[in-house]
Amino acid sequence: MAKLTLDNVTKVFTEDDGNEIVAVDDVNIDIDDGEFLVLVGPSGCGKSTTLRMIAGLETVTSGEISLGGERINEKPPAERDIAMVFQSYALYPHMTVRENMSFGLEESTDMPDDEIASHVEETAEMMGIGELLDRKPADLSGGQQQRVALGRAIVRDPEAFLMDEPLSNLDAKLRATMRTELQRLQAELGVATVYVTHDQTEAMTMGDRIAILDDGVLQQVGTPLECYHTPRNQFVAGFIGEPSMNFFEMDVRDGRLVGDRFEYELTPAQRDAVGDADRATLGVRPEDISVDTEGGGSHAYDVFVDVVEPRGDENTTHLTFDPGVEEPETFTATISGLRHIQAGEAVVATLPPESVHLFDAETGTALHNRSLETAEVTEQLT
Amino acid sequence: MSFGTSTDEETETGTGYPLRRVVLYITLVAMGAFYLIPIETGVMTSLTSPGSYTGQFPYLPPLEPLLSGTGEFSLQPWQTAVDLLGQGLVNSVILVVPATILSGLLGSMAAYGLTTVSWRGQIAIYITFVAGIFIPYQAVLVPLTQFWYNVVPLRTAFQPVAYWVPFIQNYHWKLVALIVTHTAYGLPICTLLFRAHYKKLSDEMIEAARLDGASIYRIYRRIILPLSVPMFAVVFIYQFTQIWNDLLFALTIVQFGDASVVTQELVGLGVSQSGTNFPLRMAGALVAALPTLLVYVLFGEKFAKGVAA
Repeated sequence: MAKLTLDNVTKVFTEDDGNEIVAVDDVNIDIDDGEFLVLVGPSGCGKSTTLRMIAGLETVTSGEISLGGERINEKPPAERDIAMVFQSYALYPHMTVRENMSFGLEESTDMPDDEIASHVEETAEMMGIGELLDRKPADLSGGQQQRVALGRAIVRDPEAFLMDEPLSNLDAKLRATMRTELQRLQAELGVATVYVTHDQTEAMTMGDRIAILDDGVLQQVGTPLECYHTPRNQFVAGFIGEPSMNFFEMDVRDGRLVGDRFEYELTPAQRDAVGDADRATLGVRPEDISVDTEGGGSHAYDVFVDVVEPRGDENTTHLTFDPGVEEPETFTATISGLRHIQAGEAVVATLPPESVHLFDAETGTALHNRSLETAEVTEQLT
Repeated sequence: MSFGTSTDEETETGTGYPLRRVVLYITLVAMGAFYLIPIETGVMTSLTSPGSYTGQFPYLPPLEPLLSGTGEFSLQPWQTAVDLLGQGLVNSVILVVPATILSGLLGSMAAYGLTTVSWRGQIAIYITFVAGIFIPYQAVLVPLTQFWYNVVPLRTAFQPVAYWVPFIQNYHWKLVALIVTHTAYGLPICTLLFRAHYKKLSDEMIEAARLDGASIYRIYRRIILPLSVPMFAVVFIYQFTQIWNDLLFALTIVQFGDASVVTQELVGLGVSQSGTNFPLRMAGALVAALPTLLVYVLFGEKFAKGVAA
């Protein structure tokens, strides 16, 4: 049980022609003992490379990785006392489940055989794979293989767990089950865990904290709700949340945002945040936009429904300002699944000022995040 | 299963024998006969009396019994062949078994080191391995003789071994030289075959083993080697046949004498001034071919797996 620390960790790959590619750029993360940290980002953002550096499968170009206060940069993977679960499970195909699970203990410890055997059996019982111990991986279903891979990591009782998209090969239903099970298991074991995924749902639901990476650069580290409600920049705002946040890049003119299609009256606090910038990006989450058949107000706009995607519990509506165009620019709004709304309909969309985010148009840095207390904002407006 | 399909077809067509099936079986039988006739001819020839050999079709059973006057057939040419080739067969086994195992094992290790373990400059090393495949045998014959007879003092170094170790004779040094030569010459192709196999193994699996605490050697021993079994069958069959049938290196290195291997012995078998004893030669050829056949039978199933993989 130990704390895992990444200090200014950088990874540079040098290609054959001498080109240098910065895969991970100056990343700092502290993972507390027993904490579940999710590393999330689009593919190619450096999250897997970061994980592989922690595991010792990639060298660290600069910076320091330490586990339990001890620098582990130079240690070979075998000496790090870290277990990893791979996306492909990476089970040894010629060994039975029992042999797969004992392999690590046999190779890395002096534990006597009978102790290894009882250890393996205990862990297998805990993982619900007790009856599978004498089968080979090829005779197991995907979900069972997944459990064996987890069991193989757990049985070694490591200082830290690393998981590289371990659920992505499972079907949707099993994935949801395993998500909860993994969380419960991790809480029970209390071992620092780094979990890599590209799936923002997994990140939101599983992590104690999430770290969002883009293009090798750490964008934000925080609890899922922090990242959701107070994103540090436009990338985080767009990445976390499904469907994604809507963005409108607009001009700033006398306390108003002016776009091609609509104008938006800023609140005093928002006005202060924008300052004297010429342009700003307005962001609003689909679930915060209210869609009504009629009405009005300072932040209500007449729009048309382009496409409706029913999801049962809710409808994702794609709204547009110009209905006549072939492929119009749209923004999304989520409404109750019980409401009936049709493509082509004229509706009124309200962008409530308290739920609006503002970002710097050039750097994407958050200038103003949504208010979490609605009352305060409505007061300011009146 | 075949029963099921045939009844299905019968009920479908309504006629007793589906024509396609009949044609198929006739073709199969004809092809079987075509491939087996040379061997059958060999067996028949080996049982024919040398005197009556020219008077009949070689693939028919002998008209004249081998022991004339008794009316009995005899396996006498086979006995003679085994007797005369005995020493050669033993020498060939002494040569082929270690050379096959060594080239397979070393090829597998080299392929592992060049494929699964990554280090600087491995491509250059691998290319020299591949280049080895293209060096023609003829080009190395003279240097090879020079090497074993004049450069390496193997002959003198071997004398005390032969003196102290039972069953080891002085002339065995030539077989050792031949083992090393065949191992070296077989290494490139073995490495190539194993490398193709190892490239398909999952990188994540090897990484998992590294994280599990296994050293490079232990990964080879416990993960790579057990997963190479089908490829070993391919390499063993290939190398065994190659080395067993080789005559060129044997003539170059052994030249003549007690260390002669079976292919060398076969050359002179049944040849005398009074003419060629074809039944004896044929029996000798079949005896000499038997071990390769045996290897195919032993490794056949794994071989099929390895080829399919």
